[in-house]
Amino acid sequence: MVGLSIGEQHFVKGGIAQDLRTDGRKRLTYRPIYVETGVIPQANGSARVKIGGTDVIASVKAEIGRPSSLQPDKGKVAVFIDCSPTAEPTFGGRGGEELSSELALALQRCLLGGKSGAGAGINLSSLLIKEGKVCWDLYIDGLVISSDGNLLDALGAAIKAALTNTAIPKVNVSAEVADDEQPEIDISDEEYLQFDTSSVPVIVTLTKVGTHYIVDATAEEESQMSSAVSISVNRVGHICGLTKRGGSGLDPSVILDMISVAKHVTETLMSKLDSEISAAEACEDES
Amino acid sequence: MSAKPGAATPTYSPKVVGRSRLPIFKDSDLDWSRPDGRGFPQCRPALLQTGAVSSASGSAYAEFGNTKVIVSVFGPRESKKAMTYSDVGRLNCNVSYTTFASPTLGQGTDHKEFSSMLHKALEGVIMMETFPKTTVDVFALVLESGGSDLSVVISCASLALADAGIMMYDLITAVSVSCIGKNLMIDPVTEEEGCEDGSFMMTCMPSRYEVTQLTVTGEWTTPNINEAMQLCLDACSKLGEIMRDCLKQAASASDE
Repeated sequence: MVGLSIGEQHFVKGGIAQDLRTDGRKRLTYRPIYVETGVIPQANGSARVKIGGTDVIASVKAEIGRPSSLQPDKGKVAVFIDCSPTAEPTFGGRGGEELSSELALALQRCLLGGKSGAGAGINLSSLLIKEGKVCWDLYIDGLVISSDGNLLDALGAAIKAALTNTAIPKVNVSAEVADDEQPEIDISDEEYLQFDTSSVPVIVTLTKVGTHYIVDATAEEESQMSSAVSISVNRVGHICGLTKRGGSGLDPSVILDMISVAKHVTETLMSKLDSEISAAEACEDES
Repeated sequence: MSAKPGAATPTYSPKVVGRSRLPIFKDSDLDWSRPDGRGFPQCRPALLQTGAVSSASGSAYAEFGNTKVIVSVFGPRESKKAMTYSDVGRLNCNVSYTTFASPTLGQGTDHKEFSSMLHKALEGVIMMETFPKTTVDVFALVLESGGSDLSVVISCASLALADAGIMMYDLITAVSVSCIGKNLMIDPVTEEEGCEDGSFMMTCMPSRYEVTQLTVTGEWTTPNINEAMQLCLDACSKLGEIMRDCLKQAASASDE
């Protein structure tokens, strides 16, 4: 990314202090969000989300697997993020690995909730086919095609849209077998189950520049940030995950204030995303 | 080793502020009793020693209940991995578990990200510009995993860095809180972490009263987050004092 000159840095910071960012937005306004679902036909579910210049694709693949011995009554979900070199030349080879693992960890934290499964966006028990033997393994892959700031929010929105688009085939366990053998399963080709994504949270990243917070920072605004807090809020208004990025310290009252701002922003973002996703699904059904 | 044998190991339990409405911790309706008999706002006794590894620039050993961690710091020194010139210092962190650390052989897979989380916790507090062109290596080894592993690793690492003489803005301390049902318990052990509904880990600089790292998982309401944050801040400042005492003891012992 091209560095900013001192004058440009002052312009960005001063604009944010006066509630007028370089692209004319207010501090708590998102860029236009564009959602397209069903972009990858071979995947069980997929979506492409564009927030301004940031472009990401999320895909969901479901495969039959064995539940882990520690949690035999739950399916498994794995989140992988890949930052493609098309977004930034520095992402080529191993350059994007650190960012990818940080994003994957933050998304996994928001989607899977606590160890007991409370607050999870995805109900892991619904992925179970036969306890201890057969379950669905969900592989959620995110690909960053173009990066202009706010990757985490875009990936969160893309995963939410992809899960809404996901159709898992119905499975019939055909034969009852002894405890130590794998049962035979019959995967239906016609009947599909749609995922219930009403409890999947959205992620809002609040970036602190100077003494003010902005939502949906562009890459040049992110280069001026002192710290960023990504808060994931679900439909009920509970916090499902929180990650603070950036090295500088924050006063605890600032964090609590950020949480209330994030809850306020989530209401508009959640309804906007829901309408965009249902519009995209309707568009896909027609074509 | 600088701790005097026979001295009582201090604990850093926070103070629960009395409130006009019903407190969260009511002993009468405990639906969860802690395995080691502690109260909900009670932390494990903390044993901290510096100078555990004589060949390192600085090192520290921490024992919080059953969680035993040893951290050694090497540097500032030349790094073969560094390819480009850098006029600020570099930090390299690695957290590893021994094979006998957890009761089941071979630990769980969610410990791979502890190295990057330790790096993020430390990079905001070390003054990198005091050691340009060189690298500081921090190696943490968890000898026994008894719960709240990452918090103990972070606190122990900052003690080891202080022992090595690396310049920092402040000591950092980390405390984690677990939420089970409607109970908040500080400094959870492995069994509590295994069935928690939410976890809250905070790293802060006690003297500056600033939070450097905050990680929340699970579903939390805002009042619970407030409560957890107050508990953690109080416990962090008390743990900071214990760490300072440990460093002062080590300094006075070496003067004798």
